Amino acid sequence: MSDTSANLLRLDNLYKSFGSLVVTKDVNLTVDRGERHALIGPNGAGKTSLVHQISGQLRPTSGRIFFCGEDITGASPDEIGQRGIGRTFQKNNLFRQLSMRENVRLALQAKRGNWYSFLRPASADRALLDEVDAILTQVRLADGRDRLVANLSYGEQRQLEVALALASQPRLLLLDEPTSGMSPAETERMIDLVQSLPAELGVLLIEHDMKVVFTLAHTITVLYYGEVLATGKPDAIRDNPRVREVYLGLGH
Amino acid sequence: MTTGSPPSPRTTAIWIACIVALGLVPLTGTYVTGLAAEILIFAIFAMSLDLLIGYTGLMSFGHAAFFGVSTYTMVILGVHLGWSGWIGFAAGVAMSTIAAFVIGFFAIRVSGIPFLMITMAFAQLLMSISVKWRSVTGGTDGLSGFQRPTLFGLSLENRVTQYYVVLVGFLLVLFFLRRLIASPLGSIFIGIKENEQRMLAAGYPVQRFKLIAFTLAGALAGIGGGLYGLHNAFVSSDILHWSLSGDAIIMVILGGAGTIIGPIFGSAAFLLLKNVVSSHTHYWLLWVGTIFILCVMFLPQGLWGFLRQRFGRRPPP
Ligand SMILES: Nc1ncnc2c1ncn2[C@@H]1O[C@H](COP(=O)(O)OP(=O)(O)OP(=O)(O)O)[C@@H](O)[C@H]1O
Ligand SMILES: [Mg+2]
Repeated sequence: MSDTSANLLRLDNLYKSFGSLVVTKDVNLTVDRGERHALIGPNGAGKTSLVHQISGQLRPTSGRIFFCGEDITGASPDEIGQRGIGRTFQKNNLFRQLSMRENVRLALQAKRGNWYSFLRPASADRALLDEVDAILTQVRLADGRDRLVANLSYGEQRQLEVALALASQPRLLLLDEPTSGMSPAETERMIDLVQSLPAELGVLLIEHDMKVVFTLAHTITVLYYGEVLATGKPDAIRDNPRVREVYLGLGH
Repeated sequence: MTTGSPPSPRTTAIWIACIVALGLVPLTGTYVTGLAAEILIFAIFAMSLDLLIGYTGLMSFGHAAFFGVSTYTMVILGVHLGWSGWIGFAAGVAMSTIAAFVIGFFAIRVSGIPFLMITMAFAQLLMSISVKWRSVTGGTDGLSGFQRPTLFGLSLENRVTQYYVVLVGFLLVLFFLRRLIASPLGSIFIGIKENEQRMLAAGYPVQRFKLIAFTLAGALAGIGGGLYGLHNAFVSSDILHWSLSGDAIIMVILGGAGTIIGPIFGSAAFLLLKNVVSSHTHYWLLWVGTIFILCVMFLPQGLWGFLRQRFGRRPPP
């Protein structure tokens, strides 16, 4: 199978442009098993576009993406999901007219199969429903699990985003600003949640909140107009003069 | 979202009462029985379309193709080759299924308005074949002389026998759809309607499931078309006209898209309006149109959704 010494994720000279706008410019980046890798950068730096390329929603103009040593450049989003990359969306992107449980059950079922069964009720699979509840507990969504998503608070919907990504049992988790719009208490809970994730899971985390970044990250990459401005350990990034100038200095 | 808990005694009682009432319809005389059979046939047609519109989120505007292909197959085989209506029925459903698979294969490559246009274009293509190929189809004049088959020695020339055959077909389709929608496969269709992008990210090959839904809906419409052939013993190119596809969309939305029961109400309301109003005025379509617009404005959930709300139940099944 795949080479275990390889990086979990490796981007090789990734390049993406929309017409004349270059959103990803010769990006090289790796995420290893168990690594918590933060991706930061000002608005419009191309962070979400990078996640879209990794998850197959956008096709890079050139360059390659390797997952577990295999080239997945240009693969479809569902194939990439099946291979073990789970993601959340910057803007809540859920099944709004379905219940919290059904949201997670659908995501879990994608991995478990049994897709073509059409005469037995989906709810007859008790084992699957128990797993659904375990995942909801894991993301700290304790009550009202039969409520429709449309009736959940914004913060609960953010947590459910993470639940759906985890339900696809990823080896690599892409989190696109999981704490955006959250209250300080909800942000604490999200930090706690990311810390409690399985140790061998690789996480690529886009985040604007520096407290979250410096609490969680083992490695930080700074993106600036599509280019990697710096990458390294949190302390090195904090002390990097160019980073301070273009990003960390902003608004301080 | 569909719960697996067994239905309450009250629900079961209502179901049984409805089925018994449907079984007693022939006591009311041949006119009502014939109309009821037609309502049930178009209910099958509308329910099959709702699998696409209401459950999978595919706005098809060419669903008459699958209804009509089945009727044509049955009547043509019967009139030209003398085949039994039952074999014709099976062949008709098979042809509709194949047609839906082929048309769906191309149509699902696009979505939204282009999807609507492609499905309509394919249906129009089939209609022009039926108009032009007069020697086989009878063109716009239609093809008559179909001999209805018998069942256990009872002739389907009899309105009552016809009605019971239609009723059995209707109940089979109804219970099949109820099961399907609550099943893992049905939940995938619903997921696609709710959020296609998220289904992809979760790892579902969405295109494959759209094609499955389209083919299934075509097969079920084919059952409706076959029963229509048994009921009418006649077919003309009208059956492939785009307006029939439009009628089915009206039935679905009028009754309540995304519910199993809604399209049945839609079919009943539509055909009752047509039969009652058209006996008083030629402008019955104007009435249907007006009621449809009012319904969309004031009952966005459709007749069934409104009834569910009024009589205090949770979200429709
Ligand atoms: N489909 C598209 N077509 C054209 N331009 C696009 C498209 N998607 C994104 N862009 C542009 O690419 C640039 C990068 O966008 P992206 O969403 O990746 O930034 P980001 O770093 O995630 O920003 P934010 O912090 O605001 O989320 C922006 O200028 C955006 O307007
Ligand atoms: Mg972004």
